[in-house]
Amino acid sequence: MKRFIPIVFIVFALLSLGSCCTKGPDDEVEYSDLFDNIANNMIVPRYAEFQSDLGALEMSLNAFDASDVSSLSLIQSQFKEAYLSWQSVSVFEFGPAAEYSALLRTNCNTFPTNPSRIEENIEAEEYNLAFPSNYGAKGLPALDYLLFHSNQSDLLIELSDSSRMLYIQDCLADMQGKVDEVVDAWDSFRSTFVGSEGNDQNSSLSLLFNQFLYDYEKLKRDKFALPAGFATQFGIPLDADTTVVEGRFSKMSFQLIQANLVSLENIYLGVGEDGVDGVGIFEKLKEYNAQSTVVDGDLAIAVQEQFSICKQVISQFTNDLPFEIIHNISEVQATSNQLQKLVPMIKNDMRSYLSVTVTLTDSDGD
Amino acid sequence: MTKAKSYSAQFLQWFHAETSIAPLVIFRIIFGLMMLASTVRFWAKGWIDSLFIQPDNFFHYYGFEWVKPMGEIGMYTVFVLLIISSLFIALGFFYRWATLLYFLLFTYVELIDITHYLNHYYFISLVAFIMCFLPAHRSLSVDICRKPSLALNKVPNWTIASIKFQLGLVYFFAGVAKLNYDWLFDAMPMSIWLQAKTHWPIIGTLFSEKWIAYSFSWMGCVFDLTVVFFLLSKRCRPIAYLALVIFHIVTGIMFPIGMFPWIMILATLIFFSADFHQKIIVFIQSRLRLKERESIEYNSLFLHGFKKKVLTGFLLTYVFFQMVFPFRYMLYPGNLFWTEQGYRFSWRVMLIEKAGTAFFYVTDPITGQRGEVDNSQFLTTTQEKMMATQPDLILQYAHIIKQEVESRGLENPIINAEVYVTLNGSRSMLFIDPKVNLAELEVGLKHKDWILDF
Repeated sequence: MKRFIPIVFIVFALLSLGSCCTKGPDDEVEYSDLFDNIANNMIVPRYAEFQSDLGALEMSLNAFDASDVSSLSLIQSQFKEAYLSWQSVSVFEFGPAAEYSALLRTNCNTFPTNPSRIEENIEAEEYNLAFPSNYGAKGLPALDYLLFHSNQSDLLIELSDSSRMLYIQDCLADMQGKVDEVVDAWDSFRSTFVGSEGNDQNSSLSLLFNQFLYDYEKLKRDKFALPAGFATQFGIPLDADTTVVEGRFSKMSFQLIQANLVSLENIYLGVGEDGVDGVGIFEKLKEYNAQSTVVDGDLAIAVQEQFSICKQVISQFTNDLPFEIIHNISEVQATSNQLQKLVPMIKNDMRSYLSVTVTLTDSDGD
Repeated sequence: MTKAKSYSAQFLQWFHAETSIAPLVIFRIIFGLMMLASTVRFWAKGWIDSLFIQPDNFFHYYGFEWVKPMGEIGMYTVFVLLIISSLFIALGFFYRWATLLYFLLFTYVELIDITHYLNHYYFISLVAFIMCFLPAHRSLSVDICRKPSLALNKVPNWTIASIKFQLGLVYFFAGVAKLNYDWLFDAMPMSIWLQAKTHWPIIGTLFSEKWIAYSFSWMGCVFDLTVVFFLLSKRCRPIAYLALVIFHIVTGIMFPIGMFPWIMILATLIFFSADFHQKIIVFIQSRLRLKERESIEYNSLFLHGFKKKVLTGFLLTYVFFQMVFPFRYMLYPGNLFWTEQGYRFSWRVMLIEKAGTAFFYVTDPITGQRGEVDNSQFLTTTQEKMMATQPDLILQYAHIIKQEVESRGLENPIINAEVYVTLNGSRSMLFIDPKVNLAELEVGLKHKDWILDF
């Protein structure tokens, strides 16, 4: 017995050592430079940009003059700016943006929008935009409809209707309220985000990676495969339906897809809004000397190149997506195939190297 | 022949001979408390909700398709009962009922969704099953306060030996599983795992060294294969246990394996002598000011004649099954790590690194219209990830899709899957035949000839 006593002591010493080390400082240093760059040079300035674009849209709406077509043109171009800058923040649907009171993705960009519901609301002059039943009748897609569904001269007449104008302003104010809330919340959430340790389901690493993947898969499916007829709904193959495209009325589908892609690429590369190339996922993969299993060679480079290829094939289209789906489906299919190639690079390789626990639970190896 | 006979006779004699109850009692307390901690942790992490309430679909174990989650109130009730029963096990309070309830509920929870399969959950189910039959409550328990006539000092050897056997099996077979080319001669997947830890301070730089990966692989293998024999030897026990503690702490820090290391560190205390455990009991008794109970004279645990034969037969059958079952993979052609046919329930712990991406397509058999399935409409990310590397789950998922599609009016859909899998850092390759119509295949234990070669 006496011989065992020192061993028991050692064991408990080691146990206590072990339990403090599991939370250890190791993981903390691992990604803090990445989180720091993403928070300070992407998340905060991108939200600020979106916020100010919404503000500019508000001003142009206030300055609307039914007799002046240029005031409408200004509203339309401000709207486009705002919709493009939305693409750079949609991926950050965690933390403040994922709070129930904000739910930015749902509140700002539920598409396709529901024109008849919008018209009913305007007609009734009584609506509560906070109701989930109105998710499909507000946000940027609703403005896309209201500001572009007809030619400019008709729109000038329509918008001189005060209840219609009020609806537009209400939709805008609804978004502004949510975005202001998110911007404010990031003031304090920033340090939580940057200081996050480890890789469990609520760690910054997990949140960021999973939203990165989710935003990309949404782009591939909702913005591309669904209108093109490459997708299913609950397993049922769907016909091509060009009306479900994002930015349907303003015909800016490809611009929006491209902006979304660039926003993801910049996160990957670590390029901030000021154009400075800082620490991104790319640098982390380089640090690990990660090898791609999908194509030959370096994983960091492989993903970078696939992003470039995707951007390039999308930039080749001269018309908007609905037109290309109808007249040029084979090119659309080829583009879809290129978008698809990035998925296993992210899911098979990037996930393993970043040791993201997509698995919520413990593992014993698989 | 006669020599063998006398050995087996000697063994049987030892098997039923008496030994101190102390190690068994301490094991009961440790087991109860560890299960309590595990359950509370599981709850605190929010896994009851995310694993058993949120998902729309569940993957089943073959033959257990009837096991279903019980909804929010039901699942939380199950976990409350798990907490209560594990506490009762530790206290030795209505021990028989508590162990039975714990075994049934724990196993039920594990059977709900195969995507959460863990060897260590299987281990706990087995130990809980064995515990149902052991007299672990007959000393230092509330039960003997209630009913002093239950108090015992001696139990037959087989009671403690069965726990030791189960523990030893985990290590030994984990070691046997490591006896493969990749692990030993390629240091895979250890190299990949260490590569991801190179940022660690001080020792991190070592992790990119190939020789470190080789030494970790070999040490792990030798440790697993031999530790149980050293633990059985009185002379080697202290050093073996020290090695075991270091091994588990290191793996616990390096891998997301949750409670497993801590459970094993404490559970293997059962290998220590009766004397050691008796000291702990005396210590606890003095702390709690408990009186030592008089043991009853007649001990009904020591069986005779036919009953003894039945018990011996039962235990030997259990041992035989446990020894043979991990080798069932030999009945299947192909690379075990690739096909995973006969992979589970065999103590293959932290053995391979596998990742997959699965694209499922549904085709309308009449119009020929085809579309990609949005996996997130059916599965959680965890389920999707696990499904993408395991052929039986790929097939189950195809059937989940088929059922949904048919309920929405599209009969006889053609379901194909394009799955890319990487194993131990290999090139991501097509995993199954993308042309095969998964909707037509039957779920079963037969060899899946639609898995492509590795």
